[in-house]
Amino acid sequence: MRVDTSIRMGRLDLQTPLLTGSGTFGYGDEFRSLVDYSRFGGVVTKSISLEPRPGNPPPRICETSAGGIINSIGLANLGVDGFIAGKAGVLPVDETKLFVSVVGDSVEEFVAVVERLEGVAGISGYELNVSCPNVRRGGLDLGGDRDAVAAVVSEVRSVTGRFMSVKLTPHYAVIGPVAEAAVRAGADAFTLTNTLSGMVVDAESRKPLLGNVTGGYSGPPLKPVALAKVWQAAQVVDVPIWASGGIINGIDGIEFMLAGASGLQLGSVLFADYDAPVRILEEMIEYCVRHGVDRLSDLIGRLEV
Amino acid sequence: MTDRNNTPIAEKGVVEQVRKISGSVWDMTIHSPAIAGASRAGQFVHVRVSDGFNPFLRRPLSVGPCRGDYLRLIFVVKGVGTRLLAGKHPGDIIDMIGPLGNPFPAPETDQYPILVAGGIGMVPLLLMDNQFVNSIDHDFLLGMRSSAHQTVDDVEIKRLKIVIASDDGSIGYHGTVIDLLENRLTELKRRKIVVYGCGPVPMLQSLKEVCVSRSIPAYISLEVSMGCGVGACQSCAVPRADGDGYYLVCRDGPAFRASAVDLNAGGRS
Repeated sequence: MRVDTSIRMGRLDLQTPLLTGSGTFGYGDEFRSLVDYSRFGGVVTKSISLEPRPGNPPPRICETSAGGIINSIGLANLGVDGFIAGKAGVLPVDETKLFVSVVGDSVEEFVAVVERLEGVAGISGYELNVSCPNVRRGGLDLGGDRDAVAAVVSEVRSVTGRFMSVKLTPHYAVIGPVAEAAVRAGADAFTLTNTLSGMVVDAESRKPLLGNVTGGYSGPPLKPVALAKVWQAAQVVDVPIWASGGIINGIDGIEFMLAGASGLQLGSVLFADYDAPVRILEEMIEYCVRHGVDRLSDLIGRLEV
Repeated sequence: MTDRNNTPIAEKGVVEQVRKISGSVWDMTIHSPAIAGASRAGQFVHVRVSDGFNPFLRRPLSVGPCRGDYLRLIFVVKGVGTRLLAGKHPGDIIDMIGPLGNPFPAPETDQYPILVAGGIGMVPLLLMDNQFVNSIDHDFLLGMRSSAHQTVDDVEIKRLKIVIASDDGSIGYHGTVIDLLENRLTELKRRKIVVYGCGPVPMLQSLKEVCVSRSIPAYISLEVSMGCGVGACQSCAVPRADGDGYYLVCRDGPAFRASAVDLNAGGRS
């Protein structure tokens, strides 16, 4: 039995629903000797800001006793001009769909970054990061404000016709109103969710284990939180949802598709298994064969509640 | 920093031998032809210690001595990950990416190399000895807490003419490896010296101060918390000495010129 793994994502066709999540796969070129990008549905880059950012003081990552990991990178990146000069020529745009994650402290910064990226050929779309927990301004605060999210989306929409997903924080009690506002403003999709704000303490030294004290919690423990957000959003908006939150195997991916996701972003799992987009797709195909599903997309939103 | 890193290789190595050196120090020989053949002193491998996701992250480990198709990893069992690694048996598969990062630069022809190791920090320096300096005059100094914390066995100490210092005097010189270094620098003051160091951060700080004050070039290898190992996640930052942001240990190091990094806030061993 052959399973059709392609996914229609608004105006885009992805050959598989599996993408790399922002911040976990660099600018897209770092793993070139280790993976075959043509077997990925897509790659989402690190978040790019207008100016270069040095990032937060170390340590920036650690495991937690509850499972998963916590990070505080602080959006370290080359800045949009450095990205274009240093990376535009080496991005895997011929092999897979390349989405650039964009971050800013203001509506104007988001717009300025996207305007510059419009000149780079081969980019399939953008993911607006309005929800990073590791920066003081913008980021989390911006993502928590429905009107601010809508303003970012509509202003960016006015300078690009490219596909645009909005990456939201898991911190909302109710995700619907923000999602609806973003769709009205021109969003093509959502990414649900960013990391959960958290911290890790070392009792022996009485110190936090991250240089920035708090960070973003990710990995398998985040899965139930992200599943709920995906399901809630899928009840109120009719645009594709990219799920992101603790996916480490094919069954996780199937669960998110049943809850309403069209795309699946892999993040922390890539640090252990950089080729996870290929492995997890194979595991999802196994599920489909077992259940007589010949099109992966037939599973989207088929949760029986 | 030095030359750009080479291309990472994914390889499933096969455990050839696992043995305990002392208390919590283990020495593993792995058949890993591609990585063993490509590794240079100071580089590391990123090791998946579990088939599942507990622990979640790979473990970065310095490449120790390589011979033919074999490489050695020598490590201290500190937690879940290294305990799992120490529990491997001959024939077990080890999923590794490597060699990663920038190696130590080779000594120039007129330089007298001094290798300065603290505890488990001697691993990359064993490969340094193996690859660059065993055919020329050099010193290999190793500091440890006590004879119970030996990170290299007596046969290797004798073969490599390693000079030992211990904090409690139970083996070798009673004092620190930095004391040994200062003594040698005084004895060798007419020679053109280059120092290679790896060990705990306080030791590396002292090493840096000693070398900078005498205008002696020094290279150190750092170990920090790490995510991807290939420069993508930017987790392994260490502050630049010039204050202009951070280097990444996986991509810009792990071997750095000592004067280039700020050790007060950055790496730890």
